[in-house]
Amino acid sequence: MATRNRTVVYRRHRDAVKSVRAPLFSSASGSGGPVIEMASLLGSNRSSYAPLSTEDPGPSSRDAFTVGLPPSWVDDSEQVAANIQRARAKMAELVKAHAKALMPSFEDGKEDQHLIEALTQEITDILRRSEKRLQKLSASGSAEDSNIRKNVQRSLATDLQNLSVDLRRKQSTYLKRLQQQKEGPDGVDLEMNLNGNKSRLEDDEFSDVGFNEQQTVKIKKGQQEREREINQVVQSVNELAQIMKDLSVLVIDQGTIVDRIDYNIQTVAVSVDEGLKQLQKAERTQKKGGMVRCATVLVIMCFVMLVLLILKEILF
Amino acid sequence: MVLVSAVRDYINRMLQDISGMKVLILDSHTVSVVSVGYSQSELLQKEVFLVELVDSVSKSKESMSHLKAVYFLRPTSENIQHLRRQLASPRFGEYHLFFSNILKDTQIHNLADSDEQEVVQQIQEFYADFVAIDPYHFTLNMPSNHIYMLPAVVDTSNLPHFCDRVVDGIASIFLSLKRRPIIRYQRTSDIAKRIAQETARLMYQKESGLFDFRRMEVSPLLLVIDRRDDPVVPLLNQWTYQAMVHELIGIQDNKVDLRNIGKLPKDQQEVVLSSEQDAFFKANMYENFGDIGMNIKRLVDEFQQISKSNQSIQTIEDMAKFVDKYPEYRKMHGNVSKHVTLVTEMSKIVEERKLMLVSQTEQELACNGGQVAAFEAVTNLLNNESISDIDRLRLVMLYALRYEKESPVQLMQLFNKLASRSAKYKPGLVQFVLKQAGVDKRTGDLFGNRDLLNIARNMARGLKGVENVYTQHQPLLFQTMESISKGRLRDVDYPYVGNHFQQGRPQEVVIFIVGGTTYEESRSVALQNASNSGIRFILGGSVVLNSKRFLKDLEEGQRMARSSTAVV
Repeated sequence: MATRNRTVVYRRHRDAVKSVRAPLFSSASGSGGPVIEMASLLGSNRSSYAPLSTEDPGPSSRDAFTVGLPPSWVDDSEQVAANIQRARAKMAELVKAHAKALMPSFEDGKEDQHLIEALTQEITDILRRSEKRLQKLSASGSAEDSNIRKNVQRSLATDLQNLSVDLRRKQSTYLKRLQQQKEGPDGVDLEMNLNGNKSRLEDDEFSDVGFNEQQTVKIKKGQQEREREINQVVQSVNELAQIMKDLSVLVIDQGTIVDRIDYNIQTVAVSVDEGLKQLQKAERTQKKGGMVRCATVLVIMCFVMLVLLILKEILF
Repeated sequence: MVLVSAVRDYINRMLQDISGMKVLILDSHTVSVVSVGYSQSELLQKEVFLVELVDSVSKSKESMSHLKAVYFLRPTSENIQHLRRQLASPRFGEYHLFFSNILKDTQIHNLADSDEQEVVQQIQEFYADFVAIDPYHFTLNMPSNHIYMLPAVVDTSNLPHFCDRVVDGIASIFLSLKRRPIIRYQRTSDIAKRIAQETARLMYQKESGLFDFRRMEVSPLLLVIDRRDDPVVPLLNQWTYQAMVHELIGIQDNKVDLRNIGKLPKDQQEVVLSSEQDAFFKANMYENFGDIGMNIKRLVDEFQQISKSNQSIQTIEDMAKFVDKYPEYRKMHGNVSKHVTLVTEMSKIVEERKLMLVSQTEQELACNGGQVAAFEAVTNLLNNESISDIDRLRLVMLYALRYEKESPVQLMQLFNKLASRSAKYKPGLVQFVLKQAGVDKRTGDLFGNRDLLNIARNMARGLKGVENVYTQHQPLLFQTMESISKGRLRDVDYPYVGNHFQQGRPQEVVIFIVGGTTYEESRSVALQNASNSGIRFILGGSVVLNSKRFLKDLEEGQRMARSSTAVV
């Protein structure tokens, strides 16, 4: 695809114009010496007396145009974005922890479970806090900004929603694998397997396939723990579902009319038009209020006349 | 694919190197260009948090210097004026200017003069000056399309504007494809000749450096033809999905406006019909009405299945699965309601206007012979009370175009009958059409009755019978494309501009129809491209016509022609 850059030509011309402007001003300032002092004494606006100033108008006009500070809600949105980054990093850690926990291990695996719990809790917290802050975003700020704010909200909401969906998907895969481990006979812990093998080697003739007492207790305890884990995972799944439902109001559906740029510009124009109509109506009713004013004035005059009448009667 | 992806590439390049929060400012034409190829959510991903029109930016006073402004405008004098005012009192921190076509040096100087605060960081030309509505179909959305009908002597002021806009649009197509074509035009059309010559002058003389691309073995072909060579196709009623929606309801920039149609929920009042984003539409846009009905029923059944399974939530796993699938479910719901609404509405219109009956006669007029039978059929329909005025007019026009010379007496009878039935449409319009696009003015063999080969072909087709009476018409464009594929496009009818000649068959062909294209023709092009003949066709026009628009253009043209003769 062809493009053409005209910046060089443009800059050249802009510089040429600037240099033409500057000498004109410097020649004017020499003749207006005493006038300058008067002007500065009056302390008037520098920009309106620019032609008489001895300085080069270039930098002064640049100073007059200061880079304004962004409005306060930008800080909020930046914080939400930073939170989303943090949540992403934590999710990568969570994936590693899931994988480690699912691997059959020699130790008890309790630290793994704690780590997973803690991480999941943290991530859900971050998401919930970000979501609340995002809802607040629409309330603050001026009317001018409202479009920008709405769009920033939408974009962050989409990111948040994607993150929640991702997290839930990872959790459900972990959950599924956990359940598989719980149910299938080959899900029994490796340590128990080892014990079983050892006992089989010892009790060769009996070839007893059933578990002895010690192993049954261990299995029961393992099952209880796994149940607990599963319940916790389910709980966080539900929490995330709630967050997603709240966010889905903000997110744009792709492929619909709301996702079209020209539709969004139209709705702005429409609301501006509506605003204008409302203003006009308000103006009209206010003018009508003039009638009310007239009426009150007349009533007051009536009272005044009445008082005068009474006074006349009293005095004469 | 190629047109839409060119536009998307341009927009991506505009936005990628600029970091931070941005505002995108467009004008009324570039809004259409951008909207068909890029969605609002994609803009948000690129950190564009506000989109405004250039004429409304100056109205607000608040300064947003934490935003960087990206302007994408057509290089017209009004836009330059707006820009000058905005550069003189800038609202945004940085200004990046992109123009959709070639800038004149004076325009650059004017902008530089106004840029006292030196806020402009770059000025570039990104040649996306066309609306890419389908993969191989573009339009220029020109407002006063009827100007092409007027000879140069009548209208000396608007015609150059029209030609310039068309030349700009065609140039931007080739710049975005990075090719320089060989140009041919329809001999009998003055405006096609003028446009072809001006395009050649631009590409080979004025801006030959810009168009100097790496040459392939075979140059692509640009063919400029006139709508009036095939006035039949915009008058016919359509029965394939996309063409039918445009004919009965109206599609603008891939959007359908349903607000006039009864009570619809708010999110269905305007819908998007885009083959890029809607898989069902992509599969069905060229299917005929009967098949669409069946496919929609299948879609609705699928959807009902999914809804039913959603309602039976028993375990927590089911709940989790439901929440997982919810966004997809919602999207499918929206899609299904959209198509059902459209088809329902179209069925209603077909029923009201008795279009089945009307269309059968139209197709007979366009495709088969038999003047006597045709006259009888048209007379019967004119006498039928339930046929609307516009349909009556169309029937008489089609008859007149077909049997112009054969029986003037009967033609006169039809005119009188039309005038007595519908006060709204004067028969003068039919005579205007004959003057513009009558048999003397046409190059191609529209009704297959000039060329011996075509006559034979028609007879064979008549004997074989057609699959579907309602879709038997094939636009003249199909024949033109076939001739190009076989390398047999006659020099006499379609001469070359300048001294370029085509060796062998071209591999890329852009056909531009001055006066507008139709969706029936774009369907023809898409089917031709899908047949893997080794040639890629791209179709474009000044607008996308349906019968209402075509008749409106004719009326406007007639009015202007009349007013000018009154003056003279």
